[in-house]
Amino acid sequence: MMGYFEEFFNYLASLTIDQFIRIFWFFLVFELVRFFLLDLGVLIIWKLQHVTRKKRYLLARKMLWAERPLVSIVVPGRNEGEHIFKLANSLKEQTYTNYEFIVVDDGSNDQTRVICNNLKKNGLITLFISNDVRGGKASAANLGLRYSKGKFIIHIDADCSYDRDAVENIIVPFYLDDKLGAVGGDVQVRNYDESLCTTLQAIEYIDTISIGRISQSQLGIYRIISGAFGAFRKEALDRVGGWDIGPGLDGDITVKIRKLGYNIHFEPTAVCQTNVPTTFKALTKQRLRWDKSVVRFRLRKHNDVFFPDKSFRWLNFISFIENITYNIVLNFKWYFYLIDIVWHFASRVLFILPVNYVLYTFYNFFKFVVFSIFRERKSVRDEYFLPFMPLMALYYGYYLRLVRTYAYLQEIFLKRSYEDDWNPAKTSVYAKHMKL
Amino acid sequence: MANQPHIIKHEDLKFQVIGQGHYLVDVDSTAPADALIIEANDEDYARLLVRKIRGHFNPDIYLKPVFLWRASAGTDVLLEHNHDGSISALDQIAQLAEVVKRITLRVSHLDQQAVPSYEGQIVKKVLNYLYTRENRALQPYLDTRSAIGYTFPEMSVNFSEKEEGQLLEILEWAEREGLIWPDFLEKVYQCNSCGSGHLHYREVCPHCDSSNSKSEDLVHHFPCAYLGPISDFKNTIDSTLTCPKCSKSLRHIGIDYDKPSVIHHCNNCDQNFQDANIKSKCLSCQNDVDVKFLVPRHINIYKLTRKGRSAATSGLFASSEAIDDVFGTVNMPTFRIIAHYEVERIKDKAELNASLAMVFVDGVLELYNRLGKKAERKLVEELVNMIRDNIRPMDIIAFETSSTFFVLLPGMDAKAAEEVMNRLATQVTEVLKRNLNEGKLKVTPRVRQLDGLSNAEAQINELSKEFSR
Repeated sequence: MMGYFEEFFNYLASLTIDQFIRIFWFFLVFELVRFFLLDLGVLIIWKLQHVTRKKRYLLARKMLWAERPLVSIVVPGRNEGEHIFKLANSLKEQTYTNYEFIVVDDGSNDQTRVICNNLKKNGLITLFISNDVRGGKASAANLGLRYSKGKFIIHIDADCSYDRDAVENIIVPFYLDDKLGAVGGDVQVRNYDESLCTTLQAIEYIDTISIGRISQSQLGIYRIISGAFGAFRKEALDRVGGWDIGPGLDGDITVKIRKLGYNIHFEPTAVCQTNVPTTFKALTKQRLRWDKSVVRFRLRKHNDVFFPDKSFRWLNFISFIENITYNIVLNFKWYFYLIDIVWHFASRVLFILPVNYVLYTFYNFFKFVVFSIFRERKSVRDEYFLPFMPLMALYYGYYLRLVRTYAYLQEIFLKRSYEDDWNPAKTSVYAKHMKL
Repeated sequence: MANQPHIIKHEDLKFQVIGQGHYLVDVDSTAPADALIIEANDEDYARLLVRKIRGHFNPDIYLKPVFLWRASAGTDVLLEHNHDGSISALDQIAQLAEVVKRITLRVSHLDQQAVPSYEGQIVKKVLNYLYTRENRALQPYLDTRSAIGYTFPEMSVNFSEKEEGQLLEILEWAEREGLIWPDFLEKVYQCNSCGSGHLHYREVCPHCDSSNSKSEDLVHHFPCAYLGPISDFKNTIDSTLTCPKCSKSLRHIGIDYDKPSVIHHCNNCDQNFQDANIKSKCLSCQNDVDVKFLVPRHINIYKLTRKGRSAATSGLFASSEAIDDVFGTVNMPTFRIIAHYEVERIKDKAELNASLAMVFVDGVLELYNRLGKKAERKLVEELVNMIRDNIRPMDIIAFETSSTFFVLLPGMDAKAAEEVMNRLATQVTEVLKRNLNEGKLKVTPRVRQLDGLSNAEAQINELSKEFSR
């Protein structure tokens, strides 16, 4: 064993810079440049704009309070009765009070109807509509939209809870930009300490949502308004006809709104907390669904963004290219990287892979610490997550990558997203037929 | 001359004929007749008169055989169950004699002991009537004229149509007393204010209580996930349904669209809702309430129990159970025990004396009938206070019913007790007359000096019997 470590360090010390770049090109070219250097640069600029942004926000907030528009909070859901009570109470605490709370029950077969009717009688729900037959989340959201009266629509998930100023903060950006069609809120993990699985997801959410989306939003390529917490200009939703059949309807509607020429914004001060899957089995199921929708919507339904036509926008084009490159292409390219290493450095694989792992671990650790400077709203102390950082390379680099690969292959070759029981079969069959 | 009683004698029986011109006939004046014949071609008139007769509190009147003189059979449920036969001409009177004799014979079996409690008096009337007519069941019938929607013909005559709600309470009381047993027929809902069953049900908006709303199917178009009211899919040109989101025509329910639910829109307040409130408006008192506040009641066919059949002839009617205790009184079992000790004391020392008094407020049952049970307790409390004001602190009051009070006056002889009671009777009568404008109410006292010859129970019963006589 001691011999291995001696050889390992000798090998590392013998590497020239050229050799290092040749062997670890995947990490250096793609990961480090895109997800650290670029993000860091954007975040620094974003931080430097803090003073001017604060003034603009102050003005926008004044405009919001002067107008005080009605905001419709729409919650579509099935068998979510137990969560609705907590959600209603969390909304009752909001600083912005001119809202209507619309709950659409998508054919629940539990006590949801009884609970919601009771909450409605007690004034905690403005409108409760219950469907006897399940139609899918998109149709339930569309029904909520149909009966909403607000100028802005906030789509939320029933199992989430919200900061006291979340509703106010997610609406303020609309007063900064008339062309803003939608605003995404920050989604943090509430059950971060429930299991190892949830802790790793909490770190992932901090990286990809709390930080990653600030960067995407600044670059103008922000493309997924999370279904857990997103605000929309009613006019924009009406123009796109609301939500289409999922799964992945939140990413889909964001693209539809982008394609109409609206801007999309991420608002890190509008914070919602959600419960994430507690087991890797449940997480795998969730991620398979999410990842399939990337292929379905980016490569198929909305592939028109690659072609120049009257609605062509460079930012949409870049956003898609970036998304496809970093999610789909690089995912497969990683396997080419492995083959490259095995093919050309077969005798050194046992050193290269551990070095790769160490590199990623230091990278993840360093990135987490550096980027935490830019996070303004922390519900958990950063120190809590540091002991788990060595596992992130395994989580990101192997577990999520394998799940993603499997999902992409299933969707590319078998179109499995149309068979997902997340949607009722009666709607999926049409979605597949119409290539939605 | 039209108001003069028309008497026809047959054998030794006197039939009083009441023609249609005798609308205002004084039924009290019919007591001497053995039977009544009512001209009944006008059913409403006959119904009115039969109600007056059967609703009377005098058994000589309400148990009297009543026959209808009419050309054809009638349809009025209450009328049909409260007469003893019909004739088409007065020369058929001979056919009725047997019926009159049979009823009269059965009436003679009855023990006409006064029944002080209101419920008891009504139930006694009904049981007596059923016994004399050889009937063993109270059958309810649908009747729009009845406030509860059902009439129990033999019993409903005791109530005005608006007050029939009380009838069910009394039947429930009789059921609890074991006099009748129920056989379920129907469940009805009564107004929580007046007891009426004449209710108008409406679906109303949960926000503004308006019934001015329209309901629509919700339509889910599968291909594009649009879900909205069917009016969104309609056009003004033809009957096709077109999706407002994707402009496709809806073709086949269950295949490309379905209707997962229904939604209501209030035209008054512009709100949408799915679960309308169901409210009930009482047609009698205008009380408008949520249906959950209505009072559910079982309509049963009531049959006489063995106890009920026995009670019909021997008389057995318990106290007014609604009033359990009134401040300043003891209950009857305690009163009997105290009286027992008093008698034992007198037995021991003959020079000691004590008196027992009973006060009966005659006519008050009809007052309760009119004012309702809520007034009953209030009046009992007032009466107890008035009695208490006229007696010494050491004297004991108990009430057996809401119209019958007992007073034990230790150390007071009958003469002194009589003076006290007479003074009390005069005072109470005047107060009732003045406050309630009830000239018909009469307070009658009876006094008896307790002796050591018989036990207290026997002496209390003896005093009660004096009233019956």
